[in-house]
Amino acid sequence: MGSSATGPPRLREPSLPAALLVGLTAVLVVLLPLAKMVRTAYTEGSGGFGAVLTRPGLGEAVGNSLLLSLAVTALAVPIGAALALTLRRPDLPGRTLLRVGVLLPVVVPDFVLAYSWLRAYGRAGFTDDLFGVGWEGISGPVGVTAVVAVNAVPVAYIVAAVGLAARAEPALERAARAAGAGALTVVRTVTLPLMRPALATAAMLVFVLTLGTFAIPLVLGSPAGFATVTTRIYANLARSSDPAAFVEAILLALLLVVVAVAVVAPADLLLGSRLRVTRTSTTDPGPTRSGSNRSGWWVTAAVTGYLLMAVVVPLVALMTTALTTAVGLPPVPENWTLRHFDAVLTVRNSEALSRSLMLAVAAASLLLLLGGCVAALERSRFGRATGTLVTLTFVLPGSTLAVGLLLTYGQWLGDTLLIILLAYLAKLWAFAHRPVSGALDRLPPDEFAAARVSGASVLDAIRTVVLRPLAPALLAAWLVCFLTALHEVTMSSLLYGPGNETLAVVVLNSAELGQVGQTAALSVLLTLMLLVPAGLCWWGIRRLEVRRTSGSSFEVIDVR
Amino acid sequence: MSGDALEVRGLSVSYDATPALVDVDLAVAPGEMLALLGPSGSGKSTILHTVAGFIAPTAGEVWLGGERVATPGAGTPPEDRGIAMVFQNYALWPHLSALDTVAYPARRRGLRRALAREEAMVILERLHVSHLADRRPAELSGGEQQRVGLGRALARDAALYLFDEPTAHLDMHVRAVFVEELLTRLRDTGAAAMYATHDAEEALGVADRVVLLADGRVVQVGTPEEVYHRPVDLWAARLTGPASVVAGPNGPLLVRPGWARLEGRRTGRVVDVRFRGPHSDYLLQTDDGRLLVREPGTPRHARGEQVGWTLTDSWPLGGPAEATQASSSNVAGPE
Repeated sequence: MGSSATGPPRLREPSLPAALLVGLTAVLVVLLPLAKMVRTAYTEGSGGFGAVLTRPGLGEAVGNSLLLSLAVTALAVPIGAALALTLRRPDLPGRTLLRVGVLLPVVVPDFVLAYSWLRAYGRAGFTDDLFGVGWEGISGPVGVTAVVAVNAVPVAYIVAAVGLAARAEPALERAARAAGAGALTVVRTVTLPLMRPALATAAMLVFVLTLGTFAIPLVLGSPAGFATVTTRIYANLARSSDPAAFVEAILLALLLVVVAVAVVAPADLLLGSRLRVTRTSTTDPGPTRSGSNRSGWWVTAAVTGYLLMAVVVPLVALMTTALTTAVGLPPVPENWTLRHFDAVLTVRNSEALSRSLMLAVAAASLLLLLGGCVAALERSRFGRATGTLVTLTFVLPGSTLAVGLLLTYGQWLGDTLLIILLAYLAKLWAFAHRPVSGALDRLPPDEFAAARVSGASVLDAIRTVVLRPLAPALLAAWLVCFLTALHEVTMSSLLYGPGNETLAVVVLNSAELGQVGQTAALSVLLTLMLLVPAGLCWWGIRRLEVRRTSGSSFEVIDVR
Repeated sequence: MSGDALEVRGLSVSYDATPALVDVDLAVAPGEMLALLGPSGSGKSTILHTVAGFIAPTAGEVWLGGERVATPGAGTPPEDRGIAMVFQNYALWPHLSALDTVAYPARRRGLRRALAREEAMVILERLHVSHLADRRPAELSGGEQQRVGLGRALARDAALYLFDEPTAHLDMHVRAVFVEELLTRLRDTGAAAMYATHDAEEALGVADRVVLLADGRVVQVGTPEEVYHRPVDLWAARLTGPASVVAGPNGPLLVRPGWARLEGRRTGRVVDVRFRGPHSDYLLQTDDGRLLVREPGTPRHARGEQVGWTLTDSWPLGGPAEATQASSSNVAGPE
């Protein structure tokens, strides 16, 4: 390869405490539970696998999960890619707002999204009340597919947008235009080929995430008898005392891992090296600004329409449901009340809320430490594999981790919050690691070297020139972990003990009990709780960002 | 006027409120090579990218081959302007081989793949890089990448070639060879060209005429000899090469390093001596100011020595004669 060989800064030889911390955590929260599951499945199942595998509905659930994953991937990846392609146009009217809007579903918990779709488009829902248009199929496979896809679009969008930014430099597209290619031909012959690795990654991620998705099928699928592997695990563990159900749950959990790894492993082998291709050029004049902007308005209208349908209308419906006295009454001000909010502001719920916050803060802070350790370790000679391993924990379905942890620590920690914390650490490790590692990659290696030759010790150099530019990434990593922990239900709903529910579990249980107004009120509160810290941190991240002067000078074109 | 390959009239470009180009007038005759010389941020690339159609003008017009291609309201898309471009960062597509990269323009003309590749192979052979045909950009050196970039531009068979600092990222020794190749090939096509660079030697060496740019404005237009020998002001003099300013009877005089000899009645002290290979540079402290003198051969004087000197040539700076001789083209200079 002729490309430049400047790698990320090699901070130091692996430090023993960091290596121990990472190793111990990996063994305790991931490896041991997995091993325990395999062992239990082997010993418990040796007599009666046949009886377990022939349980009614098992094959159907597996088939449903696979089909759902395929369908959602086929929907979400093209939408995400199209959004990434259109939203990078600098002259797009309202671009900043649209970009935030596309990412909004990340902040809205998936079960809240599912529930709000139900309230918006279902029978006796928002559109039914207002226009008499209710969609029966929202409860069932089609509704589940639609909402899971909407929920997955931000992931596909982010991966595609990052891939675009990293590989499809405007100069490459300009070169194609100057070579005689029209705008659409450029997309076909240059942009899309450059995005291919990113799109493959996005497809892989969406598939695996959908495989592990739980809350949306539970809220929208279960009432209609649509079961997936994850909801079946939940039903087996939470609703059944049959020993065969327990064994089945373990087998299903293991099946999820096997499928997830089977999907990810070849992709990682194929893409790992190609995704790491770094471009040599440093600056670029930004995408083409065309003279007329008529097409821009069409694009804006289309994206806005999608966001309205997918996110805004459901959230409005959720809000009006929370405010309207009873189901069936039209959502007009005469029928508004704060009754449902009163009803949910109980001591139990506020305890659940404080538990949720405590867990999320603890998890996010510990995860940042763990993620930082891994990022440092993988830059040392012996720790390179740790990064890959931690990334792999990301594809472990939450249901699997929960079953494993329950099996391993259930008898001691079953009724404590600690087991939930362990689950968060295992599941969200990659969330904390990736942003920190990515920021370290972008840190010019010379800056660290310059500090060293200016007389700074390793620690001084980290403190003075590495940590500060890393601050936005660290805060972002913390925020992502905090938010995800706060709206996690897949594992929490399997792991919580009596009097130990998190707020997300309370919402889910309330939805299952059919308390429409109260569920909506709780969902609104939970979403607001997520939006406020997210907004604050976002503002903080923007403030902390360090503007870098680029290596080469490219005239004034990049002055915006 | 209408016979020009390119004409730019009153062109202004602003990014948000920041002006990048202010009222620029330029013309490139068929077969002519026009160099845009200026420091970074002076607007060279903005001119090229506006001519190519990647940036819309805020005011003014761009005419290509007698056809208006850009006004503030409307513009012909880049692919329909019949231009070719070589980029500073090569802008090679990482997923295409050298051969397919050079074949790309022919494919866009509608040629079948096999024919386009045949055509591309001929171009690669002409550029002496046919052995690299199957390589991807990551497997090519900088000089090789830029040859492929040049090949892609040549495949366009355009009436106007735009070079956006094509040698900026090349090593010194690769640079000269590449520029030589570029000029030869360009002469073969007989096309007009615009060449942006911040390297004065390169600009003077390649161009039929040179445009000096500062802060998005044209400072001077002229042949290389004109801008070197008769710069409009000290800034233009410094931009186009080494320059000393000494006090003359009617005001300051520009003296290029070759315009003085180290013998004569006037005296100065040698402040610094530099051996440059083919010649040596002497920096003199004289009563009229500091003077840089260039003489062939190895250094003959040591630092601190008193030497005699004579001016063989000079150019008055800031004098009344300057304004009228500033520009020999039909393009207006700044006031």
